[in-house]
Amino acid sequence: MVRARGLAVLIAATFVAFACGSSGGGGTTNKGTIDIGSDLPTSGADASSGLPTQYGAAFAVSQAGSVKGFTLKFVPYDDAVNGKHDPTKGAQNVQQMISDTKLLGMVGPFNSGVAAAEIPVANQAPLAMISPSNTNECLTLAFDYCQKYAGYTAASLRPTGKNNYFRVAANDTHQGPAMADFAYDTLGLKTIAVWDDQEPFGLGVANNFATEFTKKGGTVVARQGFDTSSKPDFHAWLNKAKTAGAQGIYAGATSASYGCIPRQESQGIFDPNSYYLGPDGIGDGQCIKDSGTTMGNDHMYASQGVADAASNPSAAATIAAYKKAHPDPNDTAAYTFAGYDCAAILIDAIGRAIDKNGGNMPTRQQVIDQMATTSNFPGLTGTYTLNSAGDPTTPALQIQQYKGGAWTTIKNLAVTS
Amino acid sequence: MAAMVQRFRASLITTPTASLINLVGLAIVVVALVATVQRVVTAQGGATYFFQTMGFGLALGAIFALVALGYTMVYGIIELINFAHGDVFTLGAFISAAVLPIFGLTEGRTFGIGLILPLIGVFLVTMLACALINVGIERVAYRPLRHAPRLAPLITAIGMSAFLEGVMNVWRGPFTLHYPDLLPESQIPLGGGVTIAAKAVTVIVLAVVLMVALTVFVNRSTLGKAMRATAQDRDAAQLMGIDINRTIAATFFIGAALAGAGGIIYGLYYNSYSAFDGFTYGLYAFTAAVFGGIGNIPGAALGGILIGVIYAISDGYFTVSWTQVLVFGILIFVLVFRPTGLLGMRVPEK
Repeated sequence: MVRARGLAVLIAATFVAFACGSSGGGGTTNKGTIDIGSDLPTSGADASSGLPTQYGAAFAVSQAGSVKGFTLKFVPYDDAVNGKHDPTKGAQNVQQMISDTKLLGMVGPFNSGVAAAEIPVANQAPLAMISPSNTNECLTLAFDYCQKYAGYTAASLRPTGKNNYFRVAANDTHQGPAMADFAYDTLGLKTIAVWDDQEPFGLGVANNFATEFTKKGGTVVARQGFDTSSKPDFHAWLNKAKTAGAQGIYAGATSASYGCIPRQESQGIFDPNSYYLGPDGIGDGQCIKDSGTTMGNDHMYASQGVADAASNPSAAATIAAYKKAHPDPNDTAAYTFAGYDCAAILIDAIGRAIDKNGGNMPTRQQVIDQMATTSNFPGLTGTYTLNSAGDPTTPALQIQQYKGGAWTTIKNLAVTS
Repeated sequence: MAAMVQRFRASLITTPTASLINLVGLAIVVVALVATVQRVVTAQGGATYFFQTMGFGLALGAIFALVALGYTMVYGIIELINFAHGDVFTLGAFISAAVLPIFGLTEGRTFGIGLILPLIGVFLVTMLACALINVGIERVAYRPLRHAPRLAPLITAIGMSAFLEGVMNVWRGPFTLHYPDLLPESQIPLGGGVTIAAKAVTVIVLAVVLMVALTVFVNRSTLGKAMRATAQDRDAAQLMGIDINRTIAATFFIGAALAGAGGIIYGLYYNSYSAFDGFTYGLYAFTAAVFGGIGNIPGAALGGILIGVIYAISDGYFTVSWTQVLVFGILIFVLVFRPTGLLGMRVPEK
């Protein structure tokens, strides 16, 4: 696995080098071109959520077209290696973006683990980052457990001491507990088994779920971390969880870390009507494929770190336009419109930075400064005000159920904190 | 069997120091077994839980064993670690998944004779395809290097492994794929309220049938005799008129056929497969082969099954986080006390 990945990195790096050689076409308007980068996993297992997000961001850039006389150009990067998001690849992509002097900010990354590798690189440039879907709380906030569980702290990711990173998604202090509340209050579960994929995101969200579920009065009857560098055999543990009396499973994982493989393997051990819950990482099409025909049913629920854009009436026209441009239902996923919002917020901040700079090309630091003053921005997935840590002040969540062949929003939750 | 026991006993009785070390080893084994038994007896779920855990362990072990056989046969005859073998195993899952619809096997079919007959067809086609591919690999990557330094075929083997993974990656993509769900999901009652998963039983039965067939073939057929002779002493076998190239090719053929069957069973059991699965399975299977005694066919089967059972007992009664530590810890332990593996090494004499 390691050796195969190494080879793929080499090949991918070669492609990136060529791609960069051919890009960088000139602008047509008088003032020149501004590049908007994106870094998302757009190949392999992660592509089912990464690609629709990239389409959303690209759509926002193409809708805007230009800002204050500068032509906008969207420059997407793929951080997947061998079909999985890869922090090293992500950091390389950010280096590439930094070397592009016309690039003033980036949308992404998708995964918290990749963000941890990218933020320090972008921080030193500095380059504005805005992620539609990073949810690990340690990326922006200081908790005493961050160094131990995530392996980094918000301060250690920012060598310059200044913030350059923003996001619109609700962090895991919200996502894990939101599902725990839902499981206990709405689904009425009292006993649950929790596993995680031993990655910063999966472990974090699983711990937060378990803490809240226990606080509510429920019991976590089995708690296990799995090494997901290759596919583990879940049978014996699932049987253990069932024997311990679990009414359902919470997976602190993503589809790329075999998030829904245990759902399939629990066939014959757990009843098909037992519950399978997880974070946004399993709320995609790959999860349903992995779950199989019997187990991939309406007893599966996933939380998403942004609200459902469809419940926002003023977003309807933009959503309709997007769906006209991308009629394939697979091109719209939970973070598509969050991707759109990220690009829109970035473009808005660049516009204000241009004004501040007397109509000229702003510096990257000026863009970051304007990002930090984003206030009441009317996005598709919500109205965003970004705080000094980089988090939205009023994040929102949704709980989705797999129903009628698609992940369907059944509940939007506003977070009050 | 009697001869095997005798050989096992003989290997234990050596010098006084060695027997002291053996005694210490024995004491550790006894303590570990007592601890495990105590854990098993006091655990929640009782006998049903124990048999279910054993079922999962035996099913996993049976798959390891099928892959381990190919490693051990090839090593036994030409002392080559065929690293591509784990990927031939994955190829079995890929090819069979492509062949299943041709035989009219789609998800939702009830388990019965109407499913078993076409499934036998799938096994035959897949095993033949994998076997021919492996013979091709031997012809291209190993035979020209038969008299080259030992390191050269090892590197071509790694190259072949990467090549096969790449081919599967391009063919179906790098993500996890769904394998049609065809085996029964029910629980088989063993009496007294104890049940075991039918799926695990099916896997174990399939693997045992294949392994018995292999053993009969190697022990009874002329080609099997030629294989054993070549493994014992290649030059002498050649002098006796045995076609060495043909015999080695046959070894690769049979090893890959078993790996291919293992790949199908893997798909049927887990219902998911991906291009890179074989690498890890290959590692476990190779471990199983060394554990049982490299070159030793019953040893590989025993090693595979033991590793599977240890894996499941660790997952089910201890903690998943320690499973790999336990499996490889036991391997180190066994090799320190029995460097030739459980049933003894069988490699060409120099």
